[in-house]
Amino acid sequence: MTYVITSSCVDIKDMSCIEECPVDCIYEGDRKLYIQPKECIDCGACEPVCPVDAIYPDRTLPSDAVVDKDDNRAFFYEVLPGKDEPLGSPGGSMKVGPVEADTQRTMDLPPNPDAD
Amino acid sequence: MSETTVDVLVVGAGPSGLYAAYYAGFRGLSVAVLDGLPEAGGQITALYPEKLIYDVAGFPAVKGRELVEALVAQAAPFDPTYLLNEQAVGYTDRGDDVLITCQSGRTVAAKAVVVTGGIGSFNPRPLPGGEAFEGKGLEYIVPTYVPYAGKDVVVVGGGDSAVDWALGLEGVAASVTLVHRREEFRAHAHSVKLLKDSSVTVITPMSPVSVNGTAVVESLTVRHVKTKESQELQCHALVAALGFTADIGHLEAWGLETLDRHIVVDTSMKTNLNRVYAAGDITEYPGKVRLISVGFGEAATAVNNAATVIDPSATVFPGHSTEGAQS
Repeated sequence: MTYVITSSCVDIKDMSCIEECPVDCIYEGDRKLYIQPKECIDCGACEPVCPVDAIYPDRTLPSDAVVDKDDNRAFFYEVLPGKDEPLGSPGGSMKVGPVEADTQRTMDLPPNPDAD
Repeated sequence: MSETTVDVLVVGAGPSGLYAAYYAGFRGLSVAVLDGLPEAGGQITALYPEKLIYDVAGFPAVKGRELVEALVAQAAPFDPTYLLNEQAVGYTDRGDDVLITCQSGRTVAAKAVVVTGGIGSFNPRPLPGGEAFEGKGLEYIVPTYVPYAGKDVVVVGGGDSAVDWALGLEGVAASVTLVHRREEFRAHAHSVKLLKDSSVTVITPMSPVSVNGTAVVESLTVRHVKTKESQELQCHALVAALGFTADIGHLEAWGLETLDRHIVVDTSMKTNLNRVYAAGDITEYPGKVRLISVGFGEAATAVNNAATVIDPSATVFPGHSTEGAQS
């Protein structure tokens, strides 16, 4: 079980969740943030601090956001456009820094009208 | 430095650790419980004291804080020694017992250890680029405001700690500046209102870029999140309140076998180290489920198996608690 960052985060990347995460499992993509499902301990600290309500437990995702569960996983276990190998489980986003890539699905999303 | 001698040392005062302390007491063993945090309860106390938990056997719903209080009360008749604000950093096998050394220099001699460390011990999230200035003007925790008297202080962060410390420093420090990445603060609404009414200079939405100084902190460079314009804030002291992260690095240093930041145990909850057992979220074995209720069972398994190592004439099965004198 894990938390999932949905596409409401696209072009927002507020990053408050990163400060709350006690295991540093939220990674910064180019357009959005992603939770490493294997590193997430399901504590829920990130959920209430998101200013755009983008974070849900994977078991209660809104129906239009169920796809985000696989998208979060793909960010770590598939080779992202422009990269040579999957990110995997680095054991902390601080060590990795901004990943400067997104999943193909996130790249293809239209600009977020809520972003300024 | 003080030395504590016990039959069982429990490392980690979360729910599994508190239940292990009860079980050690029930087995007639003396017990100490060590934790890096200032109070018992582990993740429950640190992360969700007010949340309702629905999957503890016998409780249709129980508030986190109340579960911790009940666990402490359950262990209390056996008078466990609580060693709080301590990190267990070293393990020495002495044959008939083990010696655990703490970061403070304290040592604990124990006949058995049960590691119930959960996700590990909590440490402040470091300020990027601040390593060289730690203890030289850069602090992550403000236990007392006295050292800041008359200084220009910059606080970084947007949560309760950042806002509370900024408010506490007001009137003690010569000036207080609070830097946060966002316009909004996550701290309690009441604290944010006090902040608005205070003399604290609030600078948002700005991110820290670099800490500057020759030997000690002299200034912090911050950059506007949107316009990318930089600004240098002169200061004598810098406080970074960027949250906490947990890791089990200090336990790995004991020589414990780990897998993906968990401790590998067998079916008796025994680790690869002599006289060391583990229980709760920190354990790893095929089929592991990370729930409080599973941790309770593992704590009982660990302590009862440890009891036979402490006293080879003891049996693994403890007898039934209903046979005890307490009623």
